Parts: sequence; structure tokens; C-alpha cells
Amino acid sequence: MASSATETTKESSTSGSGSGDNSETKDEEKKDDSMFECNICLDTARDAVVSMCGHLFCWPCLHQWLETRPNRQVCPVCKAAISKEKVVPLYGRGSTKQEDPREKVPPRPAGQRTEPDPATAGFPGFGFGENGFHMSFGIGAFPFGFFTSTLNFGEPRPGAAPRGTQQHLEEQFLSKVFLWLAVLFIFWLLMA
Amino acid sequence: MAGMSPSERRLQKELMSLVKEPPPGVSVDPDIAERNLLHWIIDIRGAAGTLYEGERFQLQFKFSNKYPFDSPEVTFVGQNIPVHPHVYSNGHICLSILTDDWSPALSVQSVCLSIMSMLSSCKEKQRPPDNAFYVKTCNKNPKKTKWWYHDDSV
Ligand SMILES: [Zn+2]
Ligand SMILES: [Zn+2]
Repeated sequence: MASSATETTKESSTSGSGSGDNSETKDEEKKDDSMFECNICLDTARDAVVSMCGHLFCWPCLHQWLETRPNRQVCPVCKAAISKEKVVPLYGRGSTKQEDPREKVPPRPAGQRTEPDPATAGFPGFGFGENGFHMSFGIGAFPFGFFTSTLNFGEPRPGAAPRGTQQHLEEQFLSKVFLWLAVLFIFWLLMA
Repeated sequence: MAGMSPSERRLQKELMSLVKEPPPGVSVDPDIAERNLLHWIIDIRGAAGTLYEGERFQLQFKFSNKYPFDSPEVTFVGQNIPVHPHVYSNGHICLSILTDDWSPALSVQSVCLSIMSMLSSCKEKQRPPDNAFYVKTCNKNPKKTKWWYHDDSV
């Protein structure tokens, strides 16, 4: 941290004092850098978080501000309401190997991961698993409406039957049939 | 630079940008601030076309080591204290961003600009109505005053 600070200072002091020939490019670089500066310490944000209103901070900086004014938690930049729960951490490449411990500051709030809709995950359109046949063939070309309704067995379908039982074998057989139907369906789509 | 506290680092950055690109009417002597980063004197000039045109004032900024979480202590100092309904004759300024509405995203520059716009929008040069009493009784530190903010339009 200290060394990077020294660097920035050197750079800005040289570009400040000098009518150097490459001062233009330096200015542009500086502008780019300041895009990712924390709104509190004015350094490049470390352990960066962004508020719902879109303002960037170091997590330690923002945390300290929220602690300073516990009864009145507002964004330092735009005064929008802000809270610990509602900031989003930013993970850049290499952010995992940050060696500086986060001292007294609690760990950054975790990112909220919304799982993708299981129906659309994986083998799209042909989930023979939990979602069954009905769903997969629901994509609708009308000649298959027939199959969907007739072959849609056991609506509240229990989990897979134990291995080796008759039901298990039947289910496997049916899966294969459905798979073939699916292949035929695709084929039909391609030919149509 | 390595031994600097976070507040000094931020002040160093602010100083450099203020020296490099001062807003119109604002100037800072870089040497004064470099001797002690926690104590700045800033010169401001009354804007053209306002009641303070041609006047010069000095603002003193004192920072604690909790800056920028803690607001700076800002007062007018020197010979010329502007005559303004929100400026007491001892230099104390009644301005909400200096206490209740302070935010760490504000800066020396933004405080200077707020004060200049406060001066610029003044329609009649006069001291606050409670000036005599306040100056006699107040704490030396304006941040200790429980300000009751007047209308912000003036
Ligand atoms: Zn920061
Ligand atoms: Zn904001």
C-alpha cells in the first residue's frame, strides 16, 4: 500500500510541476484512474464496494463512515439511504490474493448470488430430471401437444425410484423413449 | 509518504489538486500546508458582480486525524471577516455542511466553493442578529456550537 501511494504521489507531482511533453497522456491516465477512486480516501478503492446508488468506496472507508453516523446512514456522495446489507462488493481479477488483513473491519458483505432458474439450466429444454417431460416439451410446436398430454404420467412425481426395482427400470426405459422423442422433435424442427 | 496517516494522505492529495487546479477565486500557499498538513490557510476573493467583489478573505481549516470522517473546523481569520448574516464577527460560520451535513465525500475545495456561493448569494451585508451575544459566549471551536441553521437561501 505504502509503495503504491508513493508512486501515485510521484507521478502526480511530476505531472503537476512539469510542462512535460507527455503530460497529456498522463492526464488521461489519471482521469481513468480516478474513475475507480474511493469517494472517501481518494485512493484507488481497495476491497471495493458499490452502493445501490452506484457510488464506489473502499469497504473499510464506507464502514467507518457508517459507524461514525449510525443513526443517519446516507451515501456520502448523493445522500441516498445506504446500509451495510445493501452494498455490492466488486471483485476484480486478482482481488482474491489481497494480502492486507482487514484489521478491525468486519469482512465485506458477500455478493448475493441468485441461482439461475433450474428449468433453463443445463441441457436446455430437455430436463428429464426433476422437471420431467411436460416442461421440456412445453416449448410448444402443436403436433407434440398430443404426446405431452398423453405421456405426462404421475403429476406429483416422486424422486427417482430405488435402483434395480421394476419402477426404476421402467423409468429408465421411459427416459430413453422421451430422449428419442426429443431427438425426433429436433429433427422435425430442423426439417420443417 | 509511507509514514502518513490516512487523513494526511487524503489531505496531501487534496492539496496537490488544489495547487494544481484551483477553482476561480481560491488560492492556497502550498508551503504553509506542507509544514503542517492539519492546518491550512486559504485565500478567497469575493466574486465579481457580488457584494464582496474585490474583497479578500482568509479561511482557516483545522483537521483532526479523523478527517474526512470528522468535518474540518473552518473559520474566517485575519483582518477582513466578511460581513454576512451567517458569519459572526469572530470568524465563525453558520453553514450546515461544516457540522450536521458534513460528508467525507466533501473536500476543502467543495467547502470553499460552498462558502463562496454563500457569500455570492448575499443581498445585504449585515452580521447575524445574535452576533454580539454569540461572540461573547461561544466556544473557540465553532464545531462545539449547537447551530440552529437559518434558512439556507441566504
Ligand atoms: Zn477509501
Ligand atoms: Zn450515492
